[in-house]
Amino acid sequence: MIGITGLRKSFGAATVLNGIDLEIRQGEVVSVLGSSGSGKSTLIRCINGLEKIDAGRITVDGFDVSKPRDLAEARKRSGTVFQLFNLYPHMTAVQNIALAPVEVLKVPRKEAEAEARRLLQQVGLSERADAYPAQLSGGQRQRVGICRALAMKPSYLLLDEVTSALDPEMTAEVLSILANLAKGGTTMVFVTHEIEFARSISSRIAFLDKGQMIADLPTEEFFSDKGMALPRVAQFLSKMRKD
Amino acid sequence: MKFDLSILAKHIPFLLEGAWLTFQACLLAVIGSLVVGLLVAAARTSASPLLNRLSAIYVDIFRNIPFIVQLFFFYFGLPEIGIYIDAFTTGVIAMSVAGGAFTSDVIRSGILAIDPGIIEAAQVSGLRKSTILRKIVMPIALRASVRPLGSVFINLILTSSILSTITLNELTGSAKIVASQTFRPFEVYFVLLVAYAALTWFVSILISMLHRYLNRNQAEGAV
Repeated sequence: MIGITGLRKSFGAATVLNGIDLEIRQGEVVSVLGSSGSGKSTLIRCINGLEKIDAGRITVDGFDVSKPRDLAEARKRSGTVFQLFNLYPHMTAVQNIALAPVEVLKVPRKEAEAEARRLLQQVGLSERADAYPAQLSGGQRQRVGICRALAMKPSYLLLDEVTSALDPEMTAEVLSILANLAKGGTTMVFVTHEIEFARSISSRIAFLDKGQMIADLPTEEFFSDKGMALPRVAQFLSKMRKD
Repeated sequence: MKFDLSILAKHIPFLLEGAWLTFQACLLAVIGSLVVGLLVAAARTSASPLLNRLSAIYVDIFRNIPFIVQLFFFYFGLPEIGIYIDAFTTGVIAMSVAGGAFTSDVIRSGILAIDPGIIEAAQVSGLRKSTILRKIVMPIALRASVRPLGSVFINLILTSSILSTITLNELTGSAKIVASQTFRPFEVYFVLLVAYAALTWFVSILISMLHRYLNRNQAEGAV
């Protein structure tokens, strides 16, 4: 379980997250929605320890991410996929994926690379296994990014606006993979602007506004009267649907 | 005066010996300055304020003092406090230390140019700091630094001629001896000029090849 209680995070004078409580249990797909600047990405960056939190507590399977010794364990349990892919440019797709299993989990290289190829095959990239990131399209890069996170066999997958840098066709490519993962029972925290997609795969929706969680509802309730009863949510959804 | 290279024929073995010494000193100094540069660049970009400060002081000192002064200090100064090092070793150490200041600066800017997102991806995947440095940071920084490092190394090769001032008969040193024996400085130094130009030209071609080889897969759209 990922447990977040009383999370606060500021950058200088700007408070980005102001008292967030959230629980993500194994098997759930929780989408985090909210307008740009609402703190969605910062939430992910706090869970994986890329940002130091100012107050509150985040635990991943009981490991407290603000304790250096716990952080390593917490990071082994979660995998992150980034908006801008962040692949290692000097390594092939297979090498990108196999690096952490070899170095962190001490999997023998041959095994790790075989597993990497198997993952790439799952996302339809077996023919590009030995290509470098610069030789791949955006959608292909993001699929490698997903494989890289999955190779660590994480209990939780953290997805930070993973389709925001992609055109609609490539977005569809990536979303179909995520839909398969969700079907397969992978636990996900999905920060996104893809509202319809979030609706189709999520078990719960968390809605952030100005650093506060103003809704945390089962998906169907969020998109029904209960969600619409919240003025900010209604306003957000109506704007997004018009686009 | 007639331009006549043939009079140098019998001195060629002697000059080649000098060239061989230059080659050895330069090769060792290139390796030495690369090692020093990597360590200092890592220290300058590390999270430790102490390492930052120390490495910055090192770079400032050795970039701001003429090489010949550093060399004289090592060779003629240190024996006064009981440290004796032979001319060749002194030359290699002095070039590695001075060159290291420049290479560290090049590598440091290569490190700073790396997209922070790439480092973050490595961090969240649980890689240790030392692994990130070895497997991610340095390989990327070095690929970006090949050309500017090449300039530093070529400068180092040219600087090696100064080693002749501490009794080391490398290429320039032996040319001086031949010039004073034959009284034909024009021919001797003409050959020297061509020799250095050929050496550095050769190195710059190697650098270009290395750059192209290491970055062969980094061009957009290349397959």
